Amino acid sequence: MINMAKETLGDYERLQADGKYRVGADIPAITFSEIGKRGIRRLDGYEKASGKALYTRDVQLPGMLYARVLMSTHAHGRITRIDTSKAEALPGVRAVIRHDDPEVKGRELNGSYFGPEWVTPEAASWGLKPIHLVLGDEAWYEGEPLGVVVAADSEEIADEALRLTDVEWEELPFILDQEEALKPDAYILRPGADNNIVQHPADERGLIEKGDVEEGFREADKVVEFRVKRNAHLWAGAEPPSVVVRWRGDNLEMWVHEQQPYHAKMLISEWLNLPMNKITVHSLYQGGAYGGRGNPANNSENGMNVLAALLARRTGRPVKLLYNRSEYFYGESGDMAVTYFKVGAKSDGTITAVQIRNIFAVYMCAPGIEHFIDNTRIPNLKCEGLAVDVSKGPAWWCRCEQLPNCLCLTLVFDRVAAELGLDPTEVALRNDGCDGHDMTYLSEYKREHGFPDRDSLRECIEAGKKAIAWDKKWHQPGMKRLPNGRMHGIAFTWNHDWDDVRGTGSAAVMFENDGTVSIIGQQSDIGVNPWTAYCQIVADELGVRYEDVNIKPFNLDHGFALMSPDGSCNLCSNANVLRKATKKAKGMLLELAAQKFEGVEADELDIKDSMIYVKAAPEKAKTIKEVVTLAMPSFVSCVFWTEAPVIAWAWHTQGLWGEALETGRPRLCRQAHFIEVEVDTETGEIEVTKVVNVNDVGKAISPETVEGQMYGGTYMGLGRALTEEMVWDEQTGVLLNRNLLNYKYASMLDYGPIETIIKETGMGHGPYGACGIGEATPTMIPALLGPAVYNAIGKWIDEYPITPDRVLEALGKLGE
Amino acid sequence: MSEREAGVAVAEAPIELVVNGETYRLRVQSNWSLQHVLHNELGLTGAKDFCDRGVCGSCAVIMEGRPILSCMTLAIECDGKAIETVEGIAKANHPLIEAYVKHHCMQCGYCTPGFVVTAKALLAKNPDPGEEEVKEALAGNLCRCGTYPQHVKAVLEAANNLRRG
Repeated sequence: MINMAKETLGDYERLQADGKYRVGADIPAITFSEIGKRGIRRLDGYEKASGKALYTRDVQLPGMLYARVLMSTHAHGRITRIDTSKAEALPGVRAVIRHDDPEVKGRELNGSYFGPEWVTPEAASWGLKPIHLVLGDEAWYEGEPLGVVVAADSEEIADEALRLTDVEWEELPFILDQEEALKPDAYILRPGADNNIVQHPADERGLIEKGDVEEGFREADKVVEFRVKRNAHLWAGAEPPSVVVRWRGDNLEMWVHEQQPYHAKMLISEWLNLPMNKITVHSLYQGGAYGGRGNPANNSENGMNVLAALLARRTGRPVKLLYNRSEYFYGESGDMAVTYFKVGAKSDGTITAVQIRNIFAVYMCAPGIEHFIDNTRIPNLKCEGLAVDVSKGPAWWCRCEQLPNCLCLTLVFDRVAAELGLDPTEVALRNDGCDGHDMTYLSEYKREHGFPDRDSLRECIEAGKKAIAWDKKWHQPGMKRLPNGRMHGIAFTWNHDWDDVRGTGSAAVMFENDGTVSIIGQQSDIGVNPWTAYCQIVADELGVRYEDVNIKPFNLDHGFALMSPDGSCNLCSNANVLRKATKKAKGMLLELAAQKFEGVEADELDIKDSMIYVKAAPEKAKTIKEVVTLAMPSFVSCVFWTEAPVIAWAWHTQGLWGEALETGRPRLCRQAHFIEVEVDTETGEIEVTKVVNVNDVGKAISPETVEGQMYGGTYMGLGRALTEEMVWDEQTGVLLNRNLLNYKYASMLDYGPIETIIKETGMGHGPYGACGIGEATPTMIPALLGPAVYNAIGKWIDEYPITPDRVLEALGKLGE
Repeated sequence: MSEREAGVAVAEAPIELVVNGETYRLRVQSNWSLQHVLHNELGLTGAKDFCDRGVCGSCAVIMEGRPILSCMTLAIECDGKAIETVEGIAKANHPLIEAYVKHHCMQCGYCTPGFVVTAKALLAKNPDPGEEEVKEALAGNLCRCGTYPQHVKAVLEAANNLRRG
């Protein structure tokens, strides 16, 4: 029997017993017609291809004003005087709110909902900046929104008003580097603090220890120590933030660009002291998010919502508050870190100990060692994570918070393989496991919980090796010069799946009186094609045609909110919500149908191809419309019902919070990534010539969508590896490249072919054996470039992204 | 006090645009971009504001047969020009639209109209492009979601469908 930690066992069993939470194999009880099928027409496809899809940025209301906020020009400073008289006198300016206005003065951004009891422990850590006001007078980073907000007839007039605002600053010292900030004589950024540490190893999440690393180092044949620095990158989603707000009497209506609009409603309700039932929230299509539209403590979320609402109330007109592209260049990935590694291994590749010290700038996403626990049999692990304040914008989840874990796992495994001269795929297989246990432990777990006992990592590696011709191409480092003069490199990394962690949602399934099916529930679309998948699931669970199911999840007012597109877990959570709701609704439908078939009980009926039929005599069939037509309003001379509507709702929660290894639910699926590069040793240029991703997703509900995530994650990952870097000026603390010309991400021509291989072992804990995919590739690809370049040139690059100058530096050619 | 500080409105002028075959008579401010006019004044919201400086191609429209960046084009300079937007391309049932839906060329979809416009301009000029030509043509369009490989498939398929009529 698998041991479970006592502290979580109670909750875990109770949730399972209540049916709120499920674990173990999910062997489908239905026949798949739509689920897993290729060629299903995606629900959002036409709207998006034809330009008809509306985003928050597109919303215009009659009489609408445009609002803009001042952004700080200093990395650290205080406004000593602000003169808005010229701005206020500018024709077309309708309202000006300054930081000293009684309505905002001293008011915190988010109030009590900010705390860990209301949002998440991670959201609480976001508040690491000393003062986080909705419109303050102190800048803790260059580009911080503060000082004044203006509403005007046009964006241009609002911008002009900001230019006419005269601001005097008291400049204060700033620090950009977290190791500088740790020095004993460093300037202390936070008033009253003893040092610049904001998250300490002594904090709950900061120190992780398993076994005894010193013992592990003694057992090792080889001990290697190294240091790696990861510089900042960010979301840079397509649609810059905006919000549109209007008051209808004392009711507030908002159009938000947010992953979790329910948070927006909670937060603004408290801020304005406005009952939640007076707030309507619309969430139209969302032009990208990546975590960047999912943080309640962003100024660009609740902060801008509040300011727009205040301006709208003052002017009596709808207000649209916009950030432009450069103003949205904050919110660095939570993996800005300097990492010190010490790793011990036996000469056969068995890793005996891993010790990691991770020093994060601003915010610690994840300490960095959890994947070794989740994913390996390594017995001795120790990780210290600390976060240090610097004069940069708040950092946050950035597709995704597991980036530090992925970097550490990749670099430890590839370093060990390199030091020992071993094939890294063999080192992976030698250490694969779970929480210090080897594969026999996982096999036992799989058998006990009804899963097939497949070796996911081995299957992924075999498929990937074949696709990239690994056995032919892999070589010792720095050994292969190509005919074009460049050095050839190839590398591999691996990890567990992104499982069905942490999701809660509710939705209803309703039969319209023409027999079609509506899914009712808000869900922000950030592009992962969830709505199509929901309709596939409801269609198959119900026995209706895919085209008879629809969802229009643009509004929170109906009360149901599906799990937000976060954490690679929207589908695995929401599929459970929808299956529960569908089961109830189907039961109601068949009860009603039984009354309309003579002498038949509900359990003698079923549905197929949108027809209700008698199981013993399938020729006896009725359309759903024939059954439900009176169960909704009908036209006669007035609206009337003769039967109750057929609608059922359900709620489901999946996953436990705060555990690196979710007790009793080890991850069983694996992923493998291979990359091939050519390095020009004269220019330092790296060309990525091929990427192979193999993801065991358990079950692909929409294969094209899975592939889309694998492609997209690769481009994002390669950008992070090679070109995406936020660069601050050391003299002024100003972010130098806050635009998409100088912060460069992938275009169509930048990288070689990407091959996507989907494995479906059915070993996910999610519905139909599925697990997540959205964050799996963009987190795994970035670190892998280091080992690939090492394999090419025989030198490790100790700073990411791996830019040509860093390659030349490693080759000792800088300044030649 | 300069004109600017006094808040004097910038110059305006009447222009005529033929957008998707329909004629519009407008008064535009001299600082308005064509993207602003299409998106905010005419409600053709397919031309998107993404990078705001001519890097991403999301605001692309076809003017006089060539794809242009409407955020980098002053509306006042477009007097008398014929412009085709993604809405016009969709209304004409161009095979690109269905090919884009079929091949999942969108995730968040914010940049998708710009790709469709650029691809349409390519096919108008070159009805039988090769894979590299498609990539070359679309290289100025950025997609943060990374849908790139799917676009190539869709454009080649749409070209094929167009040639077969």
